[in-house]
Amino acid sequence: MGQSPSFDSVNVGDAPPPLVCGPVTRTDFVRYAGASHDFNPNHHDEVYAREHGNKSVFGMGMLAGGYCARLLTDWLGDGALRRLRIRFASRFWPGDVLTCTARVTKKTEEVGGGLVECEFTSVNQSGEVIVRGDATAFLPRR
Amino acid sequence: MDPSAAGKTFPPYEVRIERGKIKEFADAIGDPNPVYRDPDSPAAKAAGGILAPPTLLRTFLYETRDAVEALKVADWSYIVHGEQEFEYHKPIYAGDVLTGQDRIVSITEKESRRAGKLQIAVIESTFHNQRGEKVQVARRTLIETGKRIED
Repeated sequence: MGQSPSFDSVNVGDAPPPLVCGPVTRTDFVRYAGASHDFNPNHHDEVYAREHGNKSVFGMGMLAGGYCARLLTDWLGDGALRRLRIRFASRFWPGDVLTCTARVTKKTEEVGGGLVECEFTSVNQSGEVIVRGDATAFLPRR
Repeated sequence: MDPSAAGKTFPPYEVRIERGKIKEFADAIGDPNPVYRDPDSPAAKAAGGILAPPTLLRTFLYETRDAVEALKVADWSYIVHGEQEFEYHKPIYAGDVLTGQDRIVSITEKESRRAGKLQIAVIESTFHNQRGEKVQVARRTLIETGKRIED
């Protein structure tokens, strides 16, 4: 969190330390429902979720996406992101542990610094991808 | 979904970026960063104020239902949120008053072996701040599947 690393100090292939979130709980889903206004009952109402063919409530894709966004801002600095795309691959469940990782895929010089492109994923304890995505950040030259 | 909804633009709506909401959202994603909480922290001073986390505006994407209702979805249990994208043009701070406006960018069709005929809608929400500056664009991709997807 805080300041961005300099554009020159980041290289293609670089990766931040993984961010491990969880085991996630139903309370985490309820807290995110309130914060995000996502009141799809599949995420907080166990009875509804079971009646609709799910083994239990499951987490919001954007909650896993939020964990990944935290990984990126901790790594690349506050306010550095220029673009963030989150693609939802699988669902996650109470008790799952999500591990978020990222990697630099490309660097492009710009005036005063440059753009760093990276890809990221969040996987569960079995290695199944929950969300994946890509992001672009501007880093100053300094 | 109704393909004729593509290209439609909907009335603007107000989004107030409140400090308490930013903290609540940061708590919900487990992010302890002081830039989302403490205006006197070095992080917030360097950023120019309490910042909105990158995915905060997700909270306001369903503030108005105009765009999703215009899709005329028959059964929401066949709808999957496939993708969410954000473009960051300028920082959003606690205290900002944004104006959002939604547009249905496109509705396209695709054949999928697993899920039958797919209809893919992209809704774009563009946000300007109280100074008229474009701060963020959020794009959500909603997919209507031909059959229910089982795990």
